[in-house]
Formats: sequence, structure tokens, C-alpha cells
Amino acid sequence: MTILAISIGFAAISLFRGYMDYTYWGLRQSAIRGEGLAHLTIFKKGWREKGNINPDKYMFSEEEIRICMEVLNSNRHVLLSTPQLDISGIVTNGRISTIFIAQGVIPEDVKVIEGSWRAFRPIKGNRLDKKRLSGVEMAKGLAKILDMEPGDYSVIMSPTLQGHMNALDIEVAGLYDTGTEATNDKYMRIPLTIARSLYDTGKADRIVVLLDDCEKTDTLKKIIQKKLYEAGLATEIRSWDELSNFYSEVKELFDLIFLFLFIIVLTIVIMSVVNTMGMAVIERTREIGTLRALGMKRKAVGNLFAIEGGLIGLFGCVFGIALNLLVWIVIRYIQPTYVPPGNSSPVPLMVNLVPQAMGIYAFVLIMLSLFAAVFPARRAAGQNVVNALGHV
Amino acid sequence: MALVKTIGIRKDYRLGKAIVHALRGVNMQIDPGEFVAVWGPSGSGKTTLLNLIGAIDEPTEGEVFLNGRKLNALSDNERTEVRNRSIGFIFQNFNLIPVLSALENVMVPLQISGESYSRAKKTAGSRLEEVGLSRFIHHRPDKLSGGQSQRVAIARALIGTPLLVIADEPTANLDSETSEKIITLMREINQKGKTTFIFSTHDRRLLKHCNRLIEISDGRISEKGQS
Repeated sequence: MTILAISIGFAAISLFRGYMDYTYWGLRQSAIRGEGLAHLTIFKKGWREKGNINPDKYMFSEEEIRICMEVLNSNRHVLLSTPQLDISGIVTNGRISTIFIAQGVIPEDVKVIEGSWRAFRPIKGNRLDKKRLSGVEMAKGLAKILDMEPGDYSVIMSPTLQGHMNALDIEVAGLYDTGTEATNDKYMRIPLTIARSLYDTGKADRIVVLLDDCEKTDTLKKIIQKKLYEAGLATEIRSWDELSNFYSEVKELFDLIFLFLFIIVLTIVIMSVVNTMGMAVIERTREIGTLRALGMKRKAVGNLFAIEGGLIGLFGCVFGIALNLLVWIVIRYIQPTYVPPGNSSPVPLMVNLVPQAMGIYAFVLIMLSLFAAVFPARRAAGQNVVNALGHV
Repeated sequence: MALVKTIGIRKDYRLGKAIVHALRGVNMQIDPGEFVAVWGPSGSGKTTLLNLIGAIDEPTEGEVFLNGRKLNALSDNERTEVRNRSIGFIFQNFNLIPVLSALENVMVPLQISGESYSRAKKTAGSRLEEVGLSRFIHHRPDKLSGGQSQRVAIARALIGTPLLVIADEPTANLDSETSEKIITLMREINQKGKTTFIFSTHDRRLLKHCNRLIEISDGRISEKGQS
């Protein structure tokens, strides 16, 4: 029963870890590719604190964008760097008006950033295209408010950076789902040229950088910041995980849940092993007396029971690995889906196999089982031989 | 030189508030090669005496010598080593380890002493053959009769070629015919290998096999004789 308890506990934490691993990967890809954050976002120093008050001052000018791109493109780990401009204003169909928030992007560059993740962001209608100059992608919730379908026309309005009111005609090229209810009724993605036109500027508020390896994000962040500074640009750079609040919050929650689960499993393992070995010592008292009479020293008796405890942990982990594999195979075969909180569409429930983590958990549980057996083992070793031999 | 010598040994046990005087000043000597029976009624102190000689227990007072070595001056680890190398034990309840086969049970003392598995296995096989159990080496204790189990215990006691074999009521759980056979076997081994045996019994019928009798009563040796 103790071996079964350890097996189930091991499988539980390994499966949950595998689920977390897949979820983090999904969230990571969603942030980098889906949200279009790429790996790094470069702002002018002071943009995040004072950009709202004086946006013109804290945007990159065309010359600064050119310098920035030169520095970035000279780094072999940079796959793509592209300027973007976030805007906001009012959108109307002539009868109904509502607010919008839009990302002004270069369509071909967004295609590169999204990569194969594009398949997870299906579009009803057409995507942004450099040939369709006024075509925009509108979130489904916003389109519903405005009663818009692909091919319909609308007007966006906003003050320019100089404070003059401006309006532009747009065509709804396609509709998409942002994936979260909070943004589905506001968001658009528009060509950078339209965003700049509306704001009457040639500037960009950020430069987004796609790297060849996510693991290099932190290292390259420092290198690029230094290079830009040497080129005369004071910048602040944020990595994708710093910008994706959703990723950070979900990760923090899952890490906490995992810790809680791990502590519970460890407690169960310790209590099970102590109980099992304690019972074993009582039941095998006469055997202990015999071994001592035959010449086994106290330390050896203690080691015997401690090793038995460790072996219980070992077998528990071996069966736990088998159970983990079995459940993993079943999940991959069934391919279940679920709708996470705040999402508007189902996502696959997948579990990764994380061998390194499983190895660590096995080591911890085996060592724990061994140490948990020490207390009963010492009791076994300390028994009086005469009393042990006479035990009934 | 005497193999075993006790000088004025006393052993007291505390039972609640009362003190039980199990042995009250026992002086005795056993020479190498003897086949000695310690005879007396239940509660006379037979087991206590054998426990002290076997270095399983320590006297409250007095001295115990084995082959000239004072046992009660040794540390626990030293006494444990003496038991492993110099003394073989046969218990009333056989005390075989239930999860091990007959062969594995006999191997235990050698493995404790650090002998290699293969040599221990070979020696154990030979010992089991000597006691007539070569067909039962892979049987577990629950598949052996009482007599067979005690034969395994005898083989285990002899595996390390000890100076002394101590048997505490080795026939108490056996029928009279089997008891006779076990004592006869022990006597044969004693005569053949000159291994010293000391066994306790309250069965007078078995006394005819020994060449020396120590009668114990109420913690004292009342008479020593030869049967």
C-alpha cells in the first residue's frame, strides 16, 4: 500500500508538472507569437512612465528607428526587428461608436512573428496585407458591437500627436478572436501606415525583436541595450514575460499550486514510510533478535531497515513512472480539450513528459523514504536481544 | 583451558517493582568437545544461563569467559562479533527468517561476517547435506516440518564452524520421535567435529545422550553429574 501511495503521489506531481510544462510552453508561444510580443520590445527610455503624458517626446523618430534597426540587424541572433505603434480612439459604423485599441504593425513582419502559430489564430475573412492599404483585422466582439462583417467599411477617429482631430476610413478585412473576453470587444490590428496616418506621425512607440532562441532572451537583452546606448539611444527593453501579465500571473499561480501539491505528496510519503517501517519493526522483532544473536551489529540492523525504506521509495517511483507514462499515453490518444477561465475558445489539455523533473522527484522521494525509515530503523537497532528473541 | 567459564554470575531482572533473581552465583566450566545438557524445571534459570554464556546478555554480577576472553568486558559490537564467529545458536522456535529459503537462512551468519555470496552458498549447501536436507534447500520455512526446520537451524548454527553451539530447548516444539532424532544428530556432529554443545532441556529422556549434565534449580546449580 505504501508503494502504491508513493506511485500515485509520484505520478500526480509528475503529471501536473508535465501539464504545467505544456501550459507554460503554450502561454510562452501565445505571448511571443500569438500576442505578437516577440522576444524583446524596445521602448525609448521613459516611455512607460511618461509616454502617456507626452507621447511625441517618447516615441522613436524615423532616424532613431533607422539607427535601432541597424544595431539590431547586426546581431546574428536577431531574426527580425520591426517598428510598431499602438493607437486608440473611437470606431464607428455611422450609427454606433465605441472605443478601440489597435496595434499598428507591418503585415509581412507580423506574419514572420506569428509563424506557425497563425494556425491558432484563425481569421474569418482576410488577414492584414500590404496590398490592402486600408484593410484591418477586427476582434469579433468589437465587430459584433458594430455589426460588422468582412468587407464592411468603418471610420476610426483620434486626435493626432499634435492634438488635432483626425479620422480615417478603414475596411474590415477579417475578424479574429483575441482569446480573452476582456479584449475581444476592443482590439484591432491595423497596418502601421494607417496608425501613423491617424496620428499624423512617422514615429513608432516600440521596436519589437524576434530572436532565434528564446533561451537567449535575457542575455541578448543586456547586449542589445548596451549596443543601443553606445549608438546614442537610451532605451528600456522588456522581455516577453515581463510584458505578458497573463503569463506571469498564471505561472505564479501554477507554481504555488504545484508547491502545495508537492508538500502534500511529501508528507504522505513520509507518513506512509514511517508507518510501514514502524509496523515492520514491530512485526519482525523476533527476526531482529535472531539477526542480532547471529552476529549482526546494531548499525547493520539500522541500515537494513533504512535501505528497505529506500527500496520502498524506489519501487514506488518506478511504478509511478509507469503510471505516469500510461496516463500520458491515454491523454495523447484521447486529446481532451477544455475552456480555461477568461478564454472564449477551447484549448487542448496536454501533458509533456519532463524526464529531468521526473528524475529529480524520484531522487527526492527515494531519499525521503530512506530518511523516513531511519527513525524506525534506529528503534529496531536499539532493541534488547533477549527481549526481541522472546517477543511474541 | 576451559572453553566456557563462569565465576559467581548473578542475573537479576526487574518485573515492575519486584526483582527476580534468575541466577544466584553460578560457577561452572565447560571443556572443549563436551556435550552438555543444562537440565531443570521451567523458570530455573536455564535460558538466562545460556544467554550469558552466548554473550546475548550481560550478568548483573560475576564474570563469563569464552575461550579465555572475558565477555562482560567487551563492547556491544565486540560481543556481537564473538557471537558471529565463535558461537552458533539453535532456538526453541527455530527462528528461521520466513522470507528466506532454507539455503538462504543457513547462509545468513556467513554473509553477516562478510563472506562472499558464492562461498557462503557453497558452504551452506554442504551443511544442509550433512543434516540430510539437500532436497529441501529451496524450501521456505513454512514448507518445512518442525524437525526439518530445526535441522536447518542446526546447519545455520554450524555454518561458521563455531567453537560452541548453544541450543535453548531445541526439542521443546517437537514430538518425541523427532526430538530424539535432533538430539542424536547434534550428538553425532559433536562426536565427529568435536564441536562443543550446550543445550537446555526439561525433558529427562534426552539426558542419556549427553556426557555431562548440569542441573539447575532456582538460579543455582544444584549438582553436576555425568549421565
